[in-house]
Amino acid sequence: MKKAPILAMSAALFLAACSDSNDNGGTTGTTGASGGSGGAEAELTVSAASSLSEAFGEIGDAFEAANPGTTVAFNFGPSDGLAGQINEGAPVDVFASASPTWMDSVQDDGPGVTDRSDFAQNRLAIIVPADNPAGIENLNDLTEDGVQLVLAAEGVPAGDYAREIFQNAGISKAALANVVSNEEDVKAVITKVMSGDADAGIGYVTDVTPDVADQITLIPIPDEVNVIATYPIAVVNGSQEADLAQGFVEYVLGDGQQTLAEYGFLPPP
Amino acid sequence: MATDSRRSPSTASSPLRRGRIPAGFVVLAALGVALVALPLLGLVLRTPWSRIAEVLTSDTALAALRLSLIVATTAAAISFVLGFPLAWVLVRSTFPGKTFVRAVVILPLVMPPVVAGVGLLAAFGRRSGLIGSWLYDWFGIQLTFTTAAAILAATFVSFPLAVLALEAGLRGLDERLEDAAATLGASRWYVLRRVTVPLMGPQIAAALVLSWARALGEFGATITFAGNLQGRTQTLPLAVFEQLQTDTDAAFAVSMLLILLAFAVILALRGRFLR
Repeated sequence: MKKAPILAMSAALFLAACSDSNDNGGTTGTTGASGGSGGAEAELTVSAASSLSEAFGEIGDAFEAANPGTTVAFNFGPSDGLAGQINEGAPVDVFASASPTWMDSVQDDGPGVTDRSDFAQNRLAIIVPADNPAGIENLNDLTEDGVQLVLAAEGVPAGDYAREIFQNAGISKAALANVVSNEEDVKAVITKVMSGDADAGIGYVTDVTPDVADQITLIPIPDEVNVIATYPIAVVNGSQEADLAQGFVEYVLGDGQQTLAEYGFLPPP
Repeated sequence: MATDSRRSPSTASSPLRRGRIPAGFVVLAALGVALVALPLLGLVLRTPWSRIAEVLTSDTALAALRLSLIVATTAAAISFVLGFPLAWVLVRSTFPGKTFVRAVVILPLVMPPVVAGVGLLAAFGRRSGLIGSWLYDWFGIQLTFTTAAAILAATFVSFPLAVLALEAGLRGLDERLEDAAATLGASRWYVLRRVTVPLMGPQIAAALVLSWARALGEFGATITFAGNLQGRTQTLPLAVFEQLQTDTDAAFAVSMLLILLAFAVILALRGRFLR
């Protein structure tokens, strides 16, 4: 147990360094380090599932505009990895996960959370390059010989959901035999499909954003076998900016819903 | 790296060298050591020693170790086979643009590995790659997601190290020995085999060991260009990265294995780095 602080400290230093570099130069960047938030300047560190990158980016800007002096620093990544960082002591104020599993992990095995609530849902989909080189039209086509299929790694919500879908459809063995890469997070899956090196990947409906819509095509997965991903958000216990963090959570549950809907997220259950 | 070990006794005992060491230097030097030593200490303390045998003999670890050895060894071999003639050309000939060629070859040394991966995709990707699209359209060959891609990525980043070490070796060579052999009727191939290569022994060893070690640690270019699949492209660093998300113990155990391998490399080169 006495070993933990070393790692926690290095994780904390690392994250602090990361979020500093996210400052856009306007602020002095000294908040947080001294512990006291004092005055109007405050920085909020939000760890969020990579599938939220675009939507939360916009929500963050709006939140900053609504709360002058506030900077929101995002740490996007795979929910399992983010939970791991928080449980090792990374100074994170808000956690938004793409699956309840990793929120549970922070709640039970980590520092704990407050104000937890589900804020969105998402559907999984087959993502193929725009020219669809392997002629994929449905889930069964993913089992054809030689299809280069890319998934998120096991443990990453999008990876676990994809495997669950294959199981629901009874194609686990054949589909998993076609997997050529287990990616770090869902955005890495999309990148591999976008480059045209993979024939298909399993991602979220929300991954086909307007920016990439000309490069990738979405093929819906039938509701009978599809998985609906539920996204919880919460304030991480020990946050130096607990009030502001709670404000951000409320913002996501309130005004932020409109933005999430625009990016294709479904309302919470 | 190429400096020889001859040290004149007068330098070693000169007043400047032996004089008092500034206190500030001691503090900064200690900080420097701590900077490197603390993460290592953290790794040693966090490594699940009681489970290490079990973790390191898991399917994931064994597959990654096997693949890493194949990838690093092949990359080091390719780096040497291509690097030796290149070093030769760079040291023993002059041609326009030589400085530029040399700069390009050494660039991967200071390039962010993920950028290397993006570059490899641009060259060897199946759809838009300069050569990759042609390979795929004409022969149906796809490099991405294959072990060959992992080897290519590892070679890309380790090649400059091999070239630099071999260049240093060739520069330090007394060409008169080669000339003498040639005068005595030895063929160019014979001179190369029996004079040049034996004289360059230490630098050739350094080139192989350094490029092997760099290839062993390759991560960014591999995950970007080759992907991550157990037994095919998941080398040890990729296994550490994936396991860090799911099985932290395993990640620390595999990290420790990589450190021991790196330490073995330093020992192998002790004549060069540790005097």
